[in-house]
Amino acid sequence: MQYTSQNTLLYVENLSVAYGDKTIIKDINIVEKDTVRDGSVTGQVIAVVGRSGTGKSTFFRALTGLVKPTTGKVLIADTTTDSIDDAKEVHEGDIGFVDQKYTLFRNKTVYEALQFALRNKEMSKEEKDKQILTYLKDWGLEKAKDQYPCELSGGQRQRTAIIEQIFCSGHYMVLDEPFSGLDVGNIQDVKNAFKLITESHEFNTIIYSTHDIELAVELADSIYVIGYPEIDGKKMPYGSIVKHIDMKALGIAWKEFGLEHLDIVKQIKEVMLQS
Amino acid sequence: MKNILTPFEKINKNTKLFISLGWVFVVVLTWYLSSMGERHLFPSPQQVFQGLAELYNEGLVVHIGSSLLLCFSAIIIAIIISLIFSYLSTIPLVQPVAKALSKLRYLPLTGITFYLAILISDARTMQIWVLVVFMSTYLTTSLLSMVNSIPQEEFDHARSLGCNRWEVLWEVVVKGRIDYVIDVIRQNLAIVWMMLVTVESILVAAGGLGFLIKNSDKFMNHGRIIALQIVILVVGLLIDFVLDYLRKGFFRYSKI
Ligand SMILES: Nc1ncnc2c1ncn2[C@@H]1O[C@H](COP(=O)(O)OP(=O)(O)O)[C@@H](O)[C@H]1O
Repeated sequence: MQYTSQNTLLYVENLSVAYGDKTIIKDINIVEKDTVRDGSVTGQVIAVVGRSGTGKSTFFRALTGLVKPTTGKVLIADTTTDSIDDAKEVHEGDIGFVDQKYTLFRNKTVYEALQFALRNKEMSKEEKDKQILTYLKDWGLEKAKDQYPCELSGGQRQRTAIIEQIFCSGHYMVLDEPFSGLDVGNIQDVKNAFKLITESHEFNTIIYSTHDIELAVELADSIYVIGYPEIDGKKMPYGSIVKHIDMKALGIAWKEFGLEHLDIVKQIKEVMLQS
Repeated sequence: MKNILTPFEKINKNTKLFISLGWVFVVVLTWYLSSMGERHLFPSPQQVFQGLAELYNEGLVVHIGSSLLLCFSAIIIAIIISLIFSYLSTIPLVQPVAKALSKLRYLPLTGITFYLAILISDARTMQIWVLVVFMSTYLTTSLLSMVNSIPQEEFDHARSLGCNRWEVLWEVVVKGRIDYVIDVIRQNLAIVWMMLVTVESILVAAGGLGFLIKNSDKFMNHGRIIALQIVILVVGLLIDFVLDYLRKGFFRYSKI
């Protein structure tokens, strides 16, 4: 498949996060560019896989600006300026974040929560109302409009959390374990959501973690494996990127899951077991 | 029948009702039996009813009203003070003050009464403030633990939606936990209710249930004392019930 890489959308340099004396992640470097394909709007889908406790959540918290990096920096494209090459350091709220538990405001109904997410947008009340109702319909949440989080199913909560972030943040969205604890139907819903997001704007970028390697390989066009790196034959106590697979360069991104994909799954599993 | 003796056994509604009635019967029976004979431990039910009638004629309702008024005035002032400190405890500068306030619950009552007596001359005002000082420490303790038990994810969620820190405080802690505040009041009410009676009987003042107890003590009137205890228990339980009802009624999302 033909594609070109253009402006840098995500630039992570030398990132490390430590809690007190304990380094959780270190030496993380990532460059992700805008993928452009003729005849279609192509967002970016980036998967992060790794065993539990290797620091995926911590990495995501740093990526979204929720925790300050101990060293290094995270830059994203500044889409508010005219110049296309402007970058800015990430700040909380710039990147949407849906956590593993699909946390919502416990005292807001789905409708109220979405209204809150739109609070800073310069739109009339009617426009906001219309936008919310459209999304509720498209995402199958019409019936849940006036329900509180404690009255929603896991899948409904997750969809609400995703719409909130679409409304509020720019082109980036980080999802921590979006496929865990969902049934077959919900998993399909999330896949469709990914598609909706990436097809709606060229810059839209989804970054997600998963324990399901097949789902990483099937959906992502770029995969990072986080594990404990080995330096001079010694295993380090912190997480870092131990392998990067560029599905685009391999020519198997945006394709039906096939034998080539299976091979990648096998490779990733081997790396994960070793690190 | 064997089921009701098995741990963790689920039983149906009728059996539940049957068990409750059984226990009520046991209590009443014990009461009757223990109030028979010469050296009885409890006054007989007749004596208690008589005591209740006497109390009613002496203006029991007014006294209950007086106690409730004292209780509510104190709760309102105390909850405002405790809420301010607990909410602001999220600010590093204020946190030690809030923690210290919560630690003051180990102070003895007498010391506080002594200093308040110097400051305040009016007996009623003094009663209120003794209760306020006490309750604030307990309420602050509960509210602080409420604030501390909010999961990090909820703060992160608000921040990821572009809330600044003050908005996070407002949305997650203040607005998001109002129902908890009612529950905190409810849980501390038992302490307050107990203290209230003590405070009323320590200070000579404008009546109230504590005053009635003190009065009954003097006459060694057993019937009256038990009748009063029952009244105090029932009123306390009623407030408890009303608060829980309000919380569930006003806040549909409240599942504590
Ligand atoms: N706030 C924190 N303070 C101290 N250690 C933490 C904190 N958060 C996470 N950790 C530690 O960081 C490591 C990585 O955790 P996490 O990022 O949740 O990994 P993953 O998401 O890959 O399971 C774990 O060993 C965990 O104990």
